[in-house]
Amino acid sequence: MEPQTLSQVQVMGIDAGGTMTDTFFVRADGRFVVGKAQSNPEDESLAIFESSQDALKHWQRSVNDVYPELVTGVYSGTAMLNRVVQRKGLEVGLICNRGFEQIHSMGRAIQSYLGYALEERIHLNTHRYDEPLVPISRTRGVTERTDVQGEIVIELRENEVRKATRQLVEAGSKAIVICFLQSHKNATSELRARDICRDELKRHGVDIPVFASVDYYPSRKESHRMNTTVLEAYAAEPSRQTLKKVSDRFKKNGAHFDLRVMATHGGTISWKAKELARTIVSGPIGGVIGSKLLGEALGYDNIACSDIGGTSFDMALITKGNFAIASDPDMARLVLSLPLVAMDSVGAGAGSFVRLDPYSGAIKLGPDSAGYRVGTCWADSGLDTVSVSDCHVVLGYLNPDNFLGGAIKLDVERAREHLKAQIADPLGLKVEDAAAGVIELLDLSLRDYLRATISAKGYNPTEFVCFSYGGAGPVHTYGYTEGLHFKDVVVPAWAAGFSAFGCACADFEYRYDKSVDLALPHLASDDEKVDACKVIQTAWNQLATKVIDEFVINGFKPEDVILRPGFRMQYMGQLNDLEITSPVTAATTTDDWNQIVAAFENTYGRVYASSARSPELGFSVTTAIMRGLVTTQKPVLPEDPEDGPTPPDDAYLGARPFYRHKKWVEATVWKMEALRPGNHIVGPAIIESDSTTFVVPTGFETTLDKHRLFHLRETQNKSLQ
Amino acid sequence: MSTYTKDQVKHLVEGSLDWDTTLRMLSMPKDKERFSLYLDVLQNKVSWDDRIVLPLSPHMYIVQQAKTKEWIVKCDCGHEFCDYRENWKLYANIYVRETEEAMSEVYPKLMAPDVSWQVYREYYCPSCGALHDVEAPTPWYPVIHDFEPDIEAFYQEWLDLPVPERAA
Repeated sequence: MEPQTLSQVQVMGIDAGGTMTDTFFVRADGRFVVGKAQSNPEDESLAIFESSQDALKHWQRSVNDVYPELVTGVYSGTAMLNRVVQRKGLEVGLICNRGFEQIHSMGRAIQSYLGYALEERIHLNTHRYDEPLVPISRTRGVTERTDVQGEIVIELRENEVRKATRQLVEAGSKAIVICFLQSHKNATSELRARDICRDELKRHGVDIPVFASVDYYPSRKESHRMNTTVLEAYAAEPSRQTLKKVSDRFKKNGAHFDLRVMATHGGTISWKAKELARTIVSGPIGGVIGSKLLGEALGYDNIACSDIGGTSFDMALITKGNFAIASDPDMARLVLSLPLVAMDSVGAGAGSFVRLDPYSGAIKLGPDSAGYRVGTCWADSGLDTVSVSDCHVVLGYLNPDNFLGGAIKLDVERAREHLKAQIADPLGLKVEDAAAGVIELLDLSLRDYLRATISAKGYNPTEFVCFSYGGAGPVHTYGYTEGLHFKDVVVPAWAAGFSAFGCACADFEYRYDKSVDLALPHLASDDEKVDACKVIQTAWNQLATKVIDEFVINGFKPEDVILRPGFRMQYMGQLNDLEITSPVTAATTTDDWNQIVAAFENTYGRVYASSARSPELGFSVTTAIMRGLVTTQKPVLPEDPEDGPTPPDDAYLGARPFYRHKKWVEATVWKMEALRPGNHIVGPAIIESDSTTFVVPTGFETTLDKHRLFHLRETQNKSLQ
Repeated sequence: MSTYTKDQVKHLVEGSLDWDTTLRMLSMPKDKERFSLYLDVLQNKVSWDDRIVLPLSPHMYIVQQAKTKEWIVKCDCGHEFCDYRENWKLYANIYVRETEEAMSEVYPKLMAPDVSWQVYREYYCPSCGALHDVEAPTPWYPVIHDFEPDIEAFYQEWLDLPVPERAA
């Protein structure tokens, strides 16, 4: 054992999931530990504390000892999402345009099937409207109209705002949201309504917050804007209390760092941030950020990120070192106007239930899953439907005595019996063949999905390196990458804690967006170009003020903030815009505009094809973006000297029967933690750690590099070449 | 394959089943026992002893008469319509909405169909007054025979169940 005080523990990442809370600690020398504890929705801070203890015991250190040395800590969790899904938020009142009171409940009709699998999207009888965040009984319309050009056509009737305010307070509102049509174009009426509303509250001695949509999300599409502003009042404020509790416990244990939260745009923000709604989804994003950092360190700029957990398979593409941002995504079955790291998801994971269609005899995977209950192989699960994990246990992929480090003992015979009765017997197959069929089907569908997602964006898998992570990732890596000919397939030894690692890698970054409407012909005059620059610059200035304000809350000086302006642009009349980091820091001159256009055309040529560029259509700028960041401590990658291809003796755990391609073979079993850089392992082999299992079947080989990354290769294909 | 309890199917019939389970039932292949469970639940709801062979609508069934083993159409109040192969509508009380005034009882003014093009024919149980069906045909159209089920094939080939006894 090396001396434990060798290196300072600098970075902490937290992934507070629905069932498990993972923590990830990194030392200055790049060494890391992963901790796990059962989540505690009542008091998240307690679960984080326990998970930290679990992690730090690997270094024989204590929380009180380590928290004070930490330089940075990043939180990601599902608490806010759950609050929304379970409709346990604050009672919000809503003021909108008169005659548009139902807009929020209707959710563009699309909210009746968001988040559903294809079958449920295309059948009307499964469509369903969730309970709206704000009921009609707490919604009031007031007379006002601003048209699409931003002209005020009907002045705001101020007495109606006062009356609505009084009624909403009487109806029990704990916060009031105001969202008018076209307020992103002309905010006058909405801001006036906000001030009157506040004045009326004051006159009645009521102290509740008022949220005007333009103060938060000045973007077009009123359903999105309204939902997002409501979310801010409904869920973000209660979540702030949770985060404060977590932060307080850190302080109590001697921590000096300011807790940051992973946000949808791929940066981290303070728990004190004004706009907290954007922390609603964070876990899966961490993995993408981690992949980007890892890619930069290793010199890969095209990466296919794949994350397989118990319930879903998430993937994202990093091209030329950048991930894509979706500007109006949906989350928790709500349309929102938040920038979100673009990801594709399919509801098939390691815990998916396996069923037979009684009429066709076809195997059906998911869409529901066993989740933390693993499968019928866990006697205490209370389950009687077999899951993918049951197949893995029966085929020798998973060690029944070392699931979650032995925390749960799995019963192979129980899984066998259920598989036999539910799948094998009805199909007239051997249990092994039925189980192998299930695994092959899952691998095939994931592989097709991966290939389709890459090629749908105009790329080829051979241009990409595939990163595979998530607790269940390494079990499936060989299966969903086989035959796709990725440049390299990388499995980090800390695959299970990779999302938490990624959160710790993220910049301390605020990002604000504002819709703008700019349309310029191909050969615009100099005056037109200068005017266009003026519009963009005005928006950038407004956004920069917001960004800097946020940093000031956290005690930074405005001059510490690095500002990165950006924009979304498209050829006039086309439907999809592209997000571009601006080549100029300020836009004023004709030349600035020309550079902005050139940057767009370059990106367009890269994303699609240079021959597809269509400058003759003219250019539209749809959104102004301002990102601001300050430097933070990030994890460094571990770096060990290479130790030769032969694994050390103490890494060898024995052998275990393993079934694939219709025969049982003896797979060598290795202890992941004991393997040394440079070690080379040829399948069939299984590499185990407490939190994950890496499967290397016949026809594959893997090498561990100095950063503790496994590289997986197909040996058979290599010999054919 | 999913399986459900009789209690869940009872809630399904009552319309009080939770949405998650309802969605799963809608999306998944139908469970094999569903029809028997469904009949059980329906049988428990009615006051008479005749065996339900096939439900026709929320308050109407094809039943096997306990005494004669004949299959007839029966309302859940106990009113017996006719042989299951006949059109029960010809034995029901019929109310035809064929004036603008009658239409205005069910639709706001100017939002109802023009009665020279379309009328509503409502079929009521002569005993309990339950509304069993509504047709919306052109005025001259004959009474529609909705459904002539092939019960033997349904039981044998679809459900894999023995066909209940039937007196010819």
